Amino acid sequence: GEGSTPGQPGVLGGAAFPFASPRFQIQPKPKLYVCTIQLEQQYTRGAPLGLRPSGSYSNTTSRENCFYASIPPSVDHPPATSSEFCASSREEKKKIARRKQKRTPCSLLARLVSRHLPLAPAVCVRGHRDAKPAAWTSADHALTGGTFCRRHSGVLQATRIFHTGQPRLAPLPPLPEYGGKVRLGLIPEEFFQFLYPKTGVTGPYMLGTGLILYFLSKEIYVITPETFSTISIVGLLVYVIKKYGASIGEFIDNLNEQKIAQLEEVKQASIKQIQDAIELEKAQQALVQKRHYLFDVQRNNIAMALEVTYRERLHKVYKEVKNRLDYHISVQNMMHRKEQEHMINWVEKHVVQSISAQQEKETIAKCIADLQLLAKKAQAQPVM
Amino acid sequence: MNENLFASFITPTLMGLPIIILIIAFPNILFPSPNRLINNRLVSFQQWLIQLVLKQMMTMHNLKGRTWSLMLISLIMFIGSTNLLGLLPHSFTPTTQLSMNLGMAIPLWAGAVITGFRHKTKASLAHFLPQGTPIPLIPMLVIIETISLFIQPMALAVRLTANITAGHLLMHLIGGATLVLTSISTPTAMITFIILVLLTVLEFAVALIQAYVFTLLVSLYLHDNT
Repeated sequence: GEGSTPGQPGVLGGAAFPFASPRFQIQPKPKLYVCTIQLEQQYTRGAPLGLRPSGSYSNTTSRENCFYASIPPSVDHPPATSSEFCASSREEKKKIARRKQKRTPCSLLARLVSRHLPLAPAVCVRGHRDAKPAAWTSADHALTGGTFCRRHSGVLQATRIFHTGQPRLAPLPPLPEYGGKVRLGLIPEEFFQFLYPKTGVTGPYMLGTGLILYFLSKEIYVITPETFSTISIVGLLVYVIKKYGASIGEFIDNLNEQKIAQLEEVKQASIKQIQDAIELEKAQQALVQKRHYLFDVQRNNIAMALEVTYRERLHKVYKEVKNRLDYHISVQNMMHRKEQEHMINWVEKHVVQSISAQQEKETIAKCIADLQLLAKKAQAQPVM
Repeated sequence: MNENLFASFITPTLMGLPIIILIIAFPNILFPSPNRLINNRLVSFQQWLIQLVLKQMMTMHNLKGRTWSLMLISLIMFIGSTNLLGLLPHSFTPTTQLSMNLGMAIPLWAGAVITGFRHKTKASLAHFLPQGTPIPLIPMLVIIETISLFIQPMALAVRLTANITAGHLLMHLIGGATLVLTSISTPTAMITFIILVLLTVLEFAVALIQAYVFTLLVSLYLHDNT
């Protein structure tokens, strides 16, 4: 408990850590962006010491990174992303898995080391700036002196679970888009925030300047020929990065965008193709509805054709019949005419035969007398 | 001064433990493996770079030669990154050690030559005699060609070692000159410093070029032999 006298370090089984007094309150969790080994603090967990050096960790600061390293989410924060929803169930599964795990030599070593060096390599996996650690459980009881109460759990991420069980490779948690903010390209912003309450804005800079001057004056850092090559190399690097850094970044972003655009194009083409197929199908379905017109027309055509054939044949029959009847009529007419002609000829012949010579002379004389009369009449009446 | 000059080339140890292995293995973590479709900028950039180098270097090979692609690309990435990292202050460059360069050059060259002898024995032997030599000169020329063949791995290794070592030494020396001249006459020191800057630019170029040359020559030997 809190029984130790103020100012005295607690008894820690041998390791005297100067800051381990109850008075020393660590403010909300210093974010130490140093990639070192995370010690296993759990006694019942048998997970090995895990150090996974990976370049992708160097830029990530998101919570999701914790979950990739199978760190349990804090109780205080409501889950912000879907990975956190998954993590809670993952955590339960991990608890079950952990209970079944054996105690490997790595975990025994971790336990041994953790008993004697509670805070020394007290650093966290990079990047969980927002996550509050879960409460420290069994390590509390093992350490005498009561120097590690719960409110110090900000210093040592003691109950982080690290690499228990198989890593889940799919779905991968999303990576953050940009790295953490840094000043002077090296020092993370959180360091300045950490020093701000005590030393204000210029604090870190004074610290840096002081340190540099101290090293120079005490010749802890010696100015050698290498110093000048350092100056030239670092100066060159800074110049090149300042000048071309943004454009290279844009170029790389373009590369990624091109990749996405290509795939997007394929996707859009596929979608369009399917949509066209759907429309075609719909059009054809609509056409099917109107198919009966076609059949009606065909039926009408057939009916008309039948009618036409019928009428043709009727006409033909009529003509044939008329033809026959006409034949008979013309035969009759012909007979009639022939008879008439014959009769006329017979009558004429007999009349001509009956006309005697005397009759003929009388007739001619009468005709001449008539003509003379007419001529006189004609002379008497002038022609108009 | 002598001790200081060559101090950066001794095998690095930390409290008696050789950390040379870690130094050689270090560039590996600068090349993260892409595990997504769209990666971060670093990985995308490396992917693009490696594709560029691959296309440039492996188009001249046939199918058999292209089985060496992984080896050659890893080689150029390793040598390039090691050389560039060696330009940082107080760092150790493994490629300054002849032992390591020989260890890279001899197996690669021997692999290429033995492949050639195994699969195309006549053609490999024919390399010993250039076309169109007058008959009296043939014995001498065969000897000369043999010597030139066996000198290839040595040349590869020594070229890389000498270039990088010479560059580092020059930087150190000119830096030393600048250091001494600052207390004597500052303008001369400025001039020397400018020379140093130019040399640094050259060193960056040399670092990359040497990697390229090494790999190119190995691939050339390969091309001759497949």
